[in-house]
Amino acid sequence: MWLVRPARPDDLDQILTIAGTQSARLSSTLPKQGDALTNKIEQSIASFSGRTRAGSEPQRFLFVLENTETGAIAGTAGIDARAGNGQPFYNYRRDALIHASHELGVSRRVEVLYPSHSLTDATLLCSFSIRPELRSTSAFELLSRARILFIAEHREWFTPRIAVEIQGVQLDDGSVPFWDSLGRHFFDMDFETADQHSGQLSKTFIAELMPPNPIYVTLLSEAAQQALGRAHQITLPNLELLQREGFQPGCFLDIFDAGPVLEARTDSLRTLVASHSKALHGTHEDVGETCLIAAGEREQFRCTLTPLAETLDDKLKVPIATWKVLNKTAGDRVRIAPL
Amino acid sequence: MLVIRPLQENDLDDLYTMAQNAGKGLTTLPADRDILEGKINHARETFNQRIAPEAGLYLFALEDIQRKKTVGISGIQARVGLDEVFYNYRLSITVNASKELGVHVRTPTLQLSNDMTDTSEICSLLLSDEYKGGGSGLLLSRCRFMYLDDFRKHFSEKVFAEMRGVSDTQGRSPLWDALGSKFFDMEFTEADMLSGLGNKSFIAELMPKYPIYLPMLPESARAVIGRVHDNTAPALRMLQSEGFNFNGLVDIFDGGPVVEAFVHNIRTVREGMNRHAMITRKPVNLDVPAGERAMVSNRSFRDFRVTTLPIDCIGPDTVSMPPEVAEALQIESGDPVRLAPLKDAGGLTKHRYTSSVSGGASKWQS
Repeated sequence: MWLVRPARPDDLDQILTIAGTQSARLSSTLPKQGDALTNKIEQSIASFSGRTRAGSEPQRFLFVLENTETGAIAGTAGIDARAGNGQPFYNYRRDALIHASHELGVSRRVEVLYPSHSLTDATLLCSFSIRPELRSTSAFELLSRARILFIAEHREWFTPRIAVEIQGVQLDDGSVPFWDSLGRHFFDMDFETADQHSGQLSKTFIAELMPPNPIYVTLLSEAAQQALGRAHQITLPNLELLQREGFQPGCFLDIFDAGPVLEARTDSLRTLVASHSKALHGTHEDVGETCLIAAGEREQFRCTLTPLAETLDDKLKVPIATWKVLNKTAGDRVRIAPL
Repeated sequence: MLVIRPLQENDLDDLYTMAQNAGKGLTTLPADRDILEGKINHARETFNQRIAPEAGLYLFALEDIQRKKTVGISGIQARVGLDEVFYNYRLSITVNASKELGVHVRTPTLQLSNDMTDTSEICSLLLSDEYKGGGSGLLLSRCRFMYLDDFRKHFSEKVFAEMRGVSDTQGRSPLWDALGSKFFDMEFTEADMLSGLGNKSFIAELMPKYPIYLPMLPESARAVIGRVHDNTAPALRMLQSEGFNFNGLVDIFDGGPVVEAFVHNIRTVREGMNRHAMITRKPVNLDVPAGERAMVSNRSFRDFRVTTLPIDCIGPDTVSMPPEVAEALQIESGDPVRLAPLKDAGGLTKHRYTSSVSGGASKWQS
């Protein structure tokens, strides 16, 4: 059975293994170094416990996908309660100006990338990684959407606006056209280095090194222009899932690879709207539709997939095996959402 | 004999022929009779002080007296950027540095600027091919500094010149191709022409307003920023010898440099000196090399005239000249004139006067 739960210190080695197999882009939110990852897990534990409060320490949640039979970790997913975690959160805003000359009868649309902090403090979904063989399974959906159920259960911790950065175009040779056409000139480092810095060091280096003025799209290389707002091929399943959830690409792009930033109103997310709270009751049969089921608050949060049947008197018939995974017993409240 | 004088109505035909022969390179003097006529009228009104001083356009003709033919033109615009907006790019540096990462990156950046606004520009120089060499070009260009010197209150303290930037034989500019064309949707020659004709509002409307980071431009474009066209290299050298320096501004279309100098620092101004004219019946051989000649002006605002004389003619208080020279300058004996070297240092030490007077009174010793 697949279970999504908060990350624990003893997950470190397994998470490191997964992080190592992921492509570069993830490193900004899922460190590949033990120390950095240890910090991230500790920060997550503090966040789940409710000890951190918005405005003081950043609330950053890290979940893992666990195979309950083997104890193996097969993926990670995160939420930053406030994008930027107390510091500016950088994007480019893709916008347009009309350059028109009445005299010459010319009108031309000029695309411009403006540095933006607009998404700072929006809730951010991040740190998503999963073993490649699970990409097209329901575990993939479980891992991603469990976060929304967590948000539904702890709505006051999160903001009305929610966003997720999608990895942008990277060629087979590892080069990132947008970076090569723009960022490289200013940061004087290759893409991976910059990306790792953005995950580990304070982000002031972005403020220090990023070009301070707007960028004319027409002056970017052809390949970089093509890459604006385009998602990396491997993110397409994730992209589709998020779009079904209600996320839409807006005008914001990643400053390093120009990947799209998807945005949504937190309260309009499909999982949040469609989920509801019920009392848990037992059954020994696997009956009914497979649904997402989440239970427990804060560090007790658990989410898994289970077949279930709803009764007319507001009860939920769920296999006992699922109870165990959720650490719940008869009569406890659980939250369910259809797949 | 070649004489500088204010441009006149009857110069139109010669001017038109010159503009036709010059081709597309000279945008301030297009081969268009209406435009040229407009320029002549503008200049006439300027010399006659019928327009506001800051609107002045001082255009000088170089006339071959014997042939009664205008063979060159040069000008001073009293102020730029007052009724139109005057644009340049400033070639500046953006530094991005992170101590934490040990990164320090300097990025050359073009910043749109109107810094030359309200400054006098020397402009519109054109000389017929057959008169090139022999110092005619020097006379045509440097006579303007004598004018600036004598009538400083009509001009700004600082003057500048825009030098033609790099373009190939087809008139293609590498900077335009990499930058301007992305915003203007027209050929360089067309844009340059429109700009030269004074239809400049289109620039404000279509130009990129934000700074341009040079690393985003191709090498071919970066290489020509601040560089002059090969044909303009002699003019640049002449201005440099006058004390003009690149001021960090470049043309927004072709990247040609702007050079500037304070009037009081210009060599022709510093080395100018006053004398009185003395008409002599003695024959004077006017046909000496440029290095042995001096410019002599009649110091007239309305009817400014300049020609050249052998430096041998210059005495302690007077300058002697044959009647035809006095006539060309429209002066009589005893009238004040002003002198300045025609060429850069070289021939001037031959000046007799420097050795005949003690106390270092001569300004021309080099």
